[in-house]
Amino acid sequence: MAHRRCLLSLARHATAIISQKKMPPLSAVEVLTRKPNPAITIPNSELSWFSFWSHSRHFSSSKSEDSETEVEVEMEEASDVEAENDNAASDLGRDYSPEEKETEAVAIGYKVLGPLQRSDRVFKDYEPVFAVVQIGSHQFKVSNGDSIFTERLKFCEVNDKLILNKVLLLGSPTQTIIGRPILPDAAVHAVVEEHALDAKVIIFKKKRRKNYRRTKGHRQELTKLRITDIQGIEKQEIKTDGKPLKAAVKNPEKIAAAV
Amino acid sequence: MAFMESELPTFKEKNPQLEVVTELIRGQHPHLKGFYKNKNERVVCVKNMTPEDILLYATRLRNALGRKVVKLRTRHVTKHPSVQGTWTTDVKF
Repeated sequence: MAHRRCLLSLARHATAIISQKKMPPLSAVEVLTRKPNPAITIPNSELSWFSFWSHSRHFSSSKSEDSETEVEVEMEEASDVEAENDNAASDLGRDYSPEEKETEAVAIGYKVLGPLQRSDRVFKDYEPVFAVVQIGSHQFKVSNGDSIFTERLKFCEVNDKLILNKVLLLGSPTQTIIGRPILPDAAVHAVVEEHALDAKVIIFKKKRRKNYRRTKGHRQELTKLRITDIQGIEKQEIKTDGKPLKAAVKNPEKIAAAV
Repeated sequence: MAFMESELPTFKEKNPQLEVVTELIRGQHPHLKGFYKNKNERVVCVKNMTPEDILLYATRLRNALGRKVVKLRTRHVTKHPSVQGTWTTDVKF
């Protein structure tokens, strides 16, 4: 009885995860079959789903056989992927010596590292363009010159240029471009301002009359990014020419004189 | 002491833009002091710490701005919150 209950809850968990993780990329595939980017995102989400199943495998080894038929098919597929997964999981804690691994891991967090620049004029004036960008699991509506606090981004140091390539929406006063789910040609440039710790949060647990009291301090590591440029949409350029302004100024003067 | 011999030179080379000064102050715990551009000073006591821990704290001081450590109000700081106009109930598409 307990075995059956555990499996059912596991199956429910899996279906919940399938609905969360698999659904968005599948819809992208249905809409745009030619674009390569959605195809790239699907294997990643499948891998993570199968890694979850690899843990539940240990629990389901001695379970009832009724609902195991569905589970077995997926287990066989997971066994092929599990070997790659274990290698990837074991490397996460170590130093990334090969640069390719860095760029891969960075792509999972939807950013591409660019080189440091010292005397580069990156900071422009405000442009009336915004973009909705996703970093990790958080999405931000971003414009030129904004600062954003995200979770600590690995593989980048202070004063690094980043390119955030997971852009979901671009907007300007005249035009809006919606991605399904990502815009492949859009890019948002950002500069890492600092890696800092958040203020301390005290996690206090107490159960009354049970002599149980725990205090834990936690400081979250954050990264502050400053957005410098948004590319992928037409921006209206306000040209400051001397002649039209003077002509405009002259006309009202003449009119005033005539009146 | 071990930190100053082994890891301080590499830290100095990695950050040529920083001015690293070592002082021997008797009778006080060893500490790291960071002076920031907004005239903020951050002091970290490194008594009884291994060189790796001291290096970690030094890099943290180097990575941070001199902001006061307060709980963040918003994760997104912007001067121009709206591009296409703020939505009100009167706006019609």
